[in-house]
Amino acid sequence: MQNNKRKRIYLGTAFEKRLLFLVFISAAIPATIVAACMYYLIFNMMAWQLAFPEAIAGILMPVLSKVNLVMLVSLPVCLVLIWFAALGISHRVAGPLYRLEKDLDERIAGTKHGPIRLRQKDEFKALAERLNKLICK
Amino acid sequence: MKNKLKVLSAAILCLGVLVYLSIFIAPFIFRHKEPPQGRVFRGVAWFRFDQKNALQGWEEKIFKGRVRYSVRADRQEGYLDAYSRAAASGIVRWLKFNPKRAPMVSWKWRVLKFPEKNKGVYEDNWWIEKDDYAARFYVIFPRFPFFRFQCLEYIWDKDIPAGQVLANPNFKGLKIIVVESGEENLGKWVSEERNVYEDFKKLFGSEPGNAGAIAIMTDSDNTASFAQTQYNDIEVGYAKQ
Repeated sequence: MQNNKRKRIYLGTAFEKRLLFLVFISAAIPATIVAACMYYLIFNMMAWQLAFPEAIAGILMPVLSKVNLVMLVSLPVCLVLIWFAALGISHRVAGPLYRLEKDLDERIAGTKHGPIRLRQKDEFKALAERLNKLICK
Repeated sequence: MKNKLKVLSAAILCLGVLVYLSIFIAPFIFRHKEPPQGRVFRGVAWFRFDQKNALQGWEEKIFKGRVRYSVRADRQEGYLDAYSRAAASGIVRWLKFNPKRAPMVSWKWRVLKFPEKNKGVYEDNWWIEKDDYAARFYVIFPRFPFFRFQCLEYIWDKDIPAGQVLANPNFKGLKIIVVESGEENLGKWVSEERNVYEDFKKLFGSEPGNAGAIAIMTDSDNTASFAQTQYNDIEVGYAKQ
């Protein structure tokens, strides 16, 4: 297995696109739902606790404005972070698969010989090992 | 295998929906609920403050300093005495009533001392100066989310003419109705009766939902003065006679 880092972090294959989209929405949607629930739940409970509209206007509304500002700044940052995390995760699956396909094509064409090599942290190492046994037979 | 996966997915989805709904529904189910303390009269509740424990079930909300709310049950007719020295705190009683079916609320109040408003001192921020009232009576309509809360507030002020309606610039769901004005009745018990349904429709232009609470406040924090008012015979949610 190779240790060198992959140069391209995005291959642009249809499989990788689909995987990236799935990983991104499966992280971003629950995170957004939980954040929205917490947001409304906390402020609603506080409003019930305060009860008086003047207190809600005087105490809760300024806090709400500040929280909204923080959310406005942090939400895009969080989404960008989730996007890069999704990119990394999807590439660890899509990258080796692409490599396997490419290596097998080259071996079928007879332009390359020897075992298929994957990187240390790549997925599908077990599959690569079995294919290598098949190639070496 | 495929069927098992479908069943598992459905179970996870159901669990997710259940958790999601419980987050929203929980505050409504587990919010503070108690049976009305006042003797049931014509409507939902009647608070006479003629017993030492008459404030049981009322919640105190402190905003700036503490107004002394004490039940004077030792007199021939009990009452609730509110004494504010540069303080703002109120008491709230959660009770549910439908203003469409039982729209009337009534109470008695006696102002002994108005907060001292120095006219012109706060011209740039007139609202702060004016927002001290000797007597306030609230009917609160809680809504979800909280910024949809609506409230009718009936006040007795020394200067603002009776019948005037004020709007709080910081909270559009609050309408302040001046029901008594001036010092003419200072030291005298004055009875009030309001049709909450009519007031709500007139001021908000829509049908009210269920009311969720009533509240009382005497405050003098903005003027840093002192105010004293007594309340009695609060009757909530009865039909128009």
